[in-house]
Amino acid sequence: MTALRDYVAGLAQPTLAGGAEPARYDEVVAPDGGLRAAWKGLAELAVGLTPADLARVDRDIARVLEDDGVTYAPPGRRTEPWRLDPVPLIVDAAGWAPLEVGLAQRAELLNAVLVDLYGEQRLLRERIVPAAVVRGHPGFVRVVAREGAVDRRPLVFAAADLGRDAQGRWRVLADRAQAPSGLGYAMENRRVVSRVMPELYREAGLHRMEPYFWAMRSALLQSANGDLADPRVVVLSPGTHSETAYDQAFIASILGFPLVQGSDLVVRDGWVHLRVPGRLERVDVILRRVDAAWSDPLELRGESQLGVVGLTEAVRRGRVRVVNGLGAGVLESPGLLPYLPAACEALLGEPLRLPSVDTWWCGEPDGLEQVLDRLPELSVRPIDGAADALRGLGREELTARLLAAPHRYVGQERLPLSQAPTWERTAPGRGRGAGGAGGRVRPRSLTLRAFTLRYGSSYRPLVGGLATVHGEDLHDPVGRTTKDVWVLKGTPGEPDQNLAEVLATTSARSVSVTVPRILEDMFWFGRYAERAEDLVRLVLTTHAVAEDYKTRPGTTGAVSLGVLLGASARLAGRRHEDDVDAEFRSLLLDGERSGSLAHALGGMWEALAGVRDQLSPDIWRVFGATDRAADALRADPHSHQIAESAGRALTGILSLQGVTASMMRDPGWHMIGAGRSIERALQVCHLLRATVTERRGLDVDRTVLGCVLQAAESAVTHRRRYRGYVRPASVFELLVLDADNPRSLAFSLGEVAAHLAALPASTGSSRPERLVADLLEQVRAQDVATLVAIGGVGRPNLEAFLERMTASVARLSDAIAEVHFASGPAPRLLGAATLVPGDPGRPEGPELVPARAEDAADAAVAGDEGAAAAERPDDPEGEAR
Amino acid sequence: MRRYRVTHRTAYGYDDDVTDSYGVAYLTPRSLPWQEVRAARVEVAPVPADARDDVDCYGNTTTWFQVTTPHRRLVIDAVSEVDVAELEHDAAALAMPWERARPLVHPDLPDAWEVTDFALPSGLAEPTRGAAAYGAQSLTRRRPLGEAVLDLMHRIHRDFEYDKTATTVTSTVADTLEKRAGVCQDFAHLTLACLRAHGLAARYVSGYLATDPPPGRERIVGADASHAWVAVWLPLSGGWLAIDPTNDQVAGERYVTLAWGRDYGDVPPVKGVIFTEATTSTLRVSVDVAPLEVSAG
Repeated sequence: MTALRDYVAGLAQPTLAGGAEPARYDEVVAPDGGLRAAWKGLAELAVGLTPADLARVDRDIARVLEDDGVTYAPPGRRTEPWRLDPVPLIVDAAGWAPLEVGLAQRAELLNAVLVDLYGEQRLLRERIVPAAVVRGHPGFVRVVAREGAVDRRPLVFAAADLGRDAQGRWRVLADRAQAPSGLGYAMENRRVVSRVMPELYREAGLHRMEPYFWAMRSALLQSANGDLADPRVVVLSPGTHSETAYDQAFIASILGFPLVQGSDLVVRDGWVHLRVPGRLERVDVILRRVDAAWSDPLELRGESQLGVVGLTEAVRRGRVRVVNGLGAGVLESPGLLPYLPAACEALLGEPLRLPSVDTWWCGEPDGLEQVLDRLPELSVRPIDGAADALRGLGREELTARLLAAPHRYVGQERLPLSQAPTWERTAPGRGRGAGGAGGRVRPRSLTLRAFTLRYGSSYRPLVGGLATVHGEDLHDPVGRTTKDVWVLKGTPGEPDQNLAEVLATTSARSVSVTVPRILEDMFWFGRYAERAEDLVRLVLTTHAVAEDYKTRPGTTGAVSLGVLLGASARLAGRRHEDDVDAEFRSLLLDGERSGSLAHALGGMWEALAGVRDQLSPDIWRVFGATDRAADALRADPHSHQIAESAGRALTGILSLQGVTASMMRDPGWHMIGAGRSIERALQVCHLLRATVTERRGLDVDRTVLGCVLQAAESAVTHRRRYRGYVRPASVFELLVLDADNPRSLAFSLGEVAAHLAALPASTGSSRPERLVADLLEQVRAQDVATLVAIGGVGRPNLEAFLERMTASVARLSDAIAEVHFASGPAPRLLGAATLVPGDPGRPEGPELVPARAEDAADAAVAGDEGAAAAERPDDPEGEAR
Repeated sequence: MRRYRVTHRTAYGYDDDVTDSYGVAYLTPRSLPWQEVRAARVEVAPVPADARDDVDCYGNTTTWFQVTTPHRRLVIDAVSEVDVAELEHDAAALAMPWERARPLVHPDLPDAWEVTDFALPSGLAEPTRGAAAYGAQSLTRRRPLGEAVLDLMHRIHRDFEYDKTATTVTSTVADTLEKRAGVCQDFAHLTLACLRAHGLAARYVSGYLATDPPPGRERIVGADASHAWVAVWLPLSGGWLAIDPTNDQVAGERYVTLAWGRDYGDVPPVKGVIFTEATTSTLRVSVDVAPLEVSAG
């Protein structure tokens, strides 16, 4: 039996037996039990898939998504991997055509509604739309509702969430206009599916998505005000903690526009500029993924750290185009839905083609009566809050709320939604091992997010979309997954997206942006990458010694083991005194432990997430590799797995070098290099200080020196240069003073100097440059004999030298931050003027408290809820505790 | 008719340089049927690199400015000369049962759509249950609108103490109700909350009240203050009833209107965002409403 035949057979039975179940449209199976037209053409390939095939595809999908680092952060929860079902939603050309027409008309209508609501207000004046539906919605932005500021094209990019009724007709559940998300995820889904099921993808004859992005790029360039030859477009993101950060970065990257945050932009003379060190670059178009309310602390929410001070004024003067317009969020009011048919007649002079789900606004007596009568069967929601804000309220309480402020609520019919075959894993984990297929295909309900773009003078829907498969509860993110949406071509010759005339972006000037925040993220990426690598090498070295000596206390090896454990303790403290394997596992896996591998990788992830659009997607493979190594380590209690997993993690981390090697030699690349070299310099100092400044007898010292060479990846070099004879002098020479050994302190500092010299803010005499020159001078002047010199049980000169170096390198790192990452102080609200005369006592005036990041973390951003400023993970310059 | 020259200085001082200062001011008096603005100007020092006047969605004049000269002192001076006349209210509107004046319940009333904004809740005038209950004692069944509103004003004046230490700029309606004290802004917000909780449309008015010196004393320049009061929509009359719960009187020719909105947040005299490393700041406000002789003829 194949998976799909199972599905068909499974559907047939309960309907025949039960009969009473509510009818639900099935995306694959027609009422007569045969396949729907869209699936018939794929019968051979798709229907032939066995459960084992699908389990394989499902595993591949999870793997590819992990490699690409695709994530999603549901409101109030941790970032989680994006989920994609192996079975696409397939719609044929005939089924898509009416939807396409309906979506285009709807976007045109919504644009006209916006123009009217912020301008003439005919809809309100003539009572076609009740004023409270608009004015009671937080998306209505009064500071742009001014006569001189009317935007004729406020809606450039819209989305609609759709579901099918029992007859299979699509209905709009909600319009998304604030800052629609999901297009990036849709494209990622397509990339993954086409990779893991290439045969099916090739056979299907579906509309490819790429031309849509060309159209979008061109639409954004054209939306600049005035007639600019080369308008500058940026994507404004609320930051890496936002719910759909991946989506934002993906869009920025595929469109070739820089991804920026509010603090990267500044308003001067009413124009918006990018804060590039040393100059300001004008920005003409902002694709906004920050909710309007958080976009300008001066005139909108004052506590916002996500916005740009003065943005509203720049918009009102027509000096920057914000897409969508700041006022677009009001279109998301569900209270508008009942009035759209009349608005369509009034503004476009034609009937509304794509119906919304039946909705009643309680502010009208008839609507209220209807909703109160049918309370149990309807879904009731506030027009100004989340769809599930009233969930769990009893009928009495709900009635009381409706009666107290009827204009705040709507009741909506619950659509049955359509269902589609969806892979459900039965085995835990990734389904490996178990003999069975590890899952089966089950019918699950779905909604479709469709996208529409203003292209030229009309609106063009994406031929495709993003389908969400729901769990039991429509509002509960648990159990949700997504599907790629395949819209089949009517004829094989049809151009993709029906966009024959769009050219692949010729002027695709992929701009790399070097605002301070981005340089800072690049720097920390370099530091964490080096930190991760050095820790893994140390663990590998120490573990090898432990394997040999941990059961033989008192031997040379056991004493050496203690010394090496002191080196990791210096970086990460010590957790497991008695169990060395537990210590290794913790050093590798414990993300909460500062100094651990997992912690360094976490810091690296944070840094990379902030510059995702600037880097090759290949860079995310490192996390796929390290995650799998960590999973394997957790699953296997044997000691040898420690070395195995550490080795695999190291391979992953080393692959980063391959990615950075292909980067443009721009300031970002130099910052990565500077970060890496600074970290390497610090790490070599730490390692030497922890291990070789004290003397413990010839045998122990020789073993330790050998291990130090190993951990510093210089054992082979040493062997070749000094013929294997390991002495303190040769080791110090090689790791500290040798300017040809890429692992040495001297070499690392030289690298820092070279990278710094290439940065735009470097003058030749900037403080970091002076500091590094001074450091290099000190290292050059140092002779090895002095370092080796013995005093008591130790080597006091070496100790003092390393201590000095560590402190100086830390100062150098701080100086780099000051010169290259400083973007000035954060905006603060001016104390409000009081209304009391001569009033020394009132406390509100003199406050100068910066808005806190925690407040912003609760912010609703980008049409989703998400968070703001990332906290910089701590820096291990602080010594081991 | 009375004529005034209003001088309103807002001065901020900082202990370190402010490199960028963005601000919005609502300091230009409105031109109204009962208020003629003979002259008005708003000046900022240091001189802003960029400044522009605009008219907001309620018809108020706004001044947007950006100062890019590093400074430790920012001064906003607003000077205007206005004539204010006593306002007549429509007797029929004052006499209608208050229930008839609810724009959401009677959207068919002329202008109901436009005043809906002032009947809906707003951030600083949240119509809490407490406000609804307090308001209900004045808004009794079918009571004439004017009578009900004045009764509410009297009660707030009687029940609440003027105490500038009781609240801050960020105080809520619930705070005021609990402390039974506040300043004009708090009383205005409370009045708005009471009225809106019952569906009436009412707006927050920012402006000045000309005061007389105590008998036998000279007028002290700069001792006046910004003031705030409330105006209630009177349907079918084209007018609003302006009441001052702080002074228990209908706002008349001693009241100079600057701007109105849903609450203080829509029309603060000055608001701003600064970029600085400064840790402390001082704020001094001085207001002078000087009566002028109106030359005959």
